[in-house]
Amino acid sequence: MSVKPLIRATAVGKDYNEGAVRALSNISVDLHENQITALVGPSGCGKTTLLRIIAGLDFPTRGAIAIDGKTVQGPGPDRGLIFQAYTSFPWLTAVRNVEYGLKILGIDKEERRQRALDFLKLVRLDHVADHYPRSLSGGMKQRVALARTLAQRPRIVLMDEPFGALDAQVRWEMQELLVELVEAEPRTVVIVTHDIGEALYLADRILFFSRQPGRIKADLTLDFKGGRRLKEKEELFSLPGYREMEKHLFSMMREEIAAVDNAA
Amino acid sequence: MADDSAGVVAHQGGAETFAQQQTGAADAPVFRPPGRKFLELRHEPSRINGALLGLIGAALFIGLWEAGHYLTPEEGRQFLPSVGEVIYALIDLFREQNFLDDVIASCIRISVSFFAAAAIAVPLGVLMGSFKNLRALLNPTLSAWKYLPAASFMPLLLVWFGPTDTAKLALLFIGVVFFLVALVLDNAEAVPSEFTEAALTMGASRWEVVLNVIVPAAAPAIFDSMRNMIAVGWTYLVIAEIVGARDGIGAMMMRAGRTLSVDQIMAGILTIGILGVLTDILFRMAARLLLPWATSR
Repeated sequence: MSVKPLIRATAVGKDYNEGAVRALSNISVDLHENQITALVGPSGCGKTTLLRIIAGLDFPTRGAIAIDGKTVQGPGPDRGLIFQAYTSFPWLTAVRNVEYGLKILGIDKEERRQRALDFLKLVRLDHVADHYPRSLSGGMKQRVALARTLAQRPRIVLMDEPFGALDAQVRWEMQELLVELVEAEPRTVVIVTHDIGEALYLADRILFFSRQPGRIKADLTLDFKGGRRLKEKEELFSLPGYREMEKHLFSMMREEIAAVDNAA
Repeated sequence: MADDSAGVVAHQGGAETFAQQQTGAADAPVFRPPGRKFLELRHEPSRINGALLGLIGAALFIGLWEAGHYLTPEEGRQFLPSVGEVIYALIDLFREQNFLDDVIASCIRISVSFFAAAAIAVPLGVLMGSFKNLRALLNPTLSAWKYLPAASFMPLLLVWFGPTDTAKLALLFIGVVFFLVALVLDNAEAVPSEFTEAALTMGASRWEVVLNVIVPAAAPAIFDSMRNMIAVGWTYLVIAEIVGARDGIGAMMMRAGRTLSVDQIMAGILTIGILGVLTDILFRMAARLLLPWATSR
């Protein structure tokens, strides 16, 4: 696995309301190519803010993000973003949703259709290619969004609690699908989640955030997985070191909750 | 009673249900759904019942009207004609007084001025809903216009244009355009930011986001706004035609007023009502055709 830094955050800070709220304070971190990094932490810790700054949808008050040495100036198709809210466009069928991203890239009509169908197949939605999102379930809508993003072949896939609105079983299916997709074609993924189990299963590395101000409290490499990605989530539970890591994350989360309770 | 016992016997002979296995058929509690009240909270009537209730409502209205007619002393009855008399007057207008020409004149006026208003209000509303600086620039001035009663412009328009069609079209335009801009602005702003941001992260330009995301996402709501505003358009049409027109539904009603022909005035009101409902249906049908993805039923 390559360890060259693809995303470099240098002293990134973000204030809201002219400094009244410090969403992020002095974040410096390198994220590596073809790794899955999970940003974990309590609500309001700035993990989504950092993701949006990487996406180019928000700008830092201080510092900068560089992709491959180039400072991020705005959003672009090299960084795909998957939201928690369903963003498959309701006015386009599933296949046309996927084609939309390819159209923006200027890919011609025939190749567009073919590639869109290929990616729908990858997320196992080829049977509903001509359905409008209205008739699809939440998990299916999210798979359309995933196919639409992946079809553009972005260097980086950013995910903001992508499975947060799904029920437990569908969320679990989507997590395994994501691992399958990343294994099939190596990708750099940054995923924001407050689900510790999700982070432990998906990530190669976890950045645990603390709040007020938002900062990185712990940088954890999930060595207990032996540099391997697990096909089935339950494999996780029998790995030595898993329990300790989970316990560690939970106690960090508890400290965060306690800190807020004390402040109040 | 006989039916009830037969039901129990049939149950015992039928497939074993979970309840029967648990407690035995004899003492299985029988669930009876409580009867529905007429004012059942948030209960949707069936299609047929819904239509029936609508008809009953209309019948109540007509009944009240008729009762009013017959309760009015005979010497005043011509001022509150019966339903039949109004319908007869309407038929007579079409047959003897070329009322169809009036209706057509009114329809052309409302179409021309409404589509002129929409042609300006919809793009302007979408742009103001997409670019907040544009909204800041234009919205304070445009919203102020909403508080100026359009009807009060009639004297001014008559001085400027005389009793011409231009004056009438201008009144309708003024009455509709400012409200429509405000509605479309809201519709465009209501498009979830996740849609526009998703497009931006896919590499779409600002204008691509406006045209390919905000416009289609807001289209169903914009259609509804237009449908509601055309109803307002009818109001101004009649005002314009009453003030200074030789033809049109409003002009006919004004003529009828001079001869105290209340039945004809009411026939005019009825016509406008019918045309209003027809436009509404037309808009809904157009929406269903143009935006099949948005109409769930």
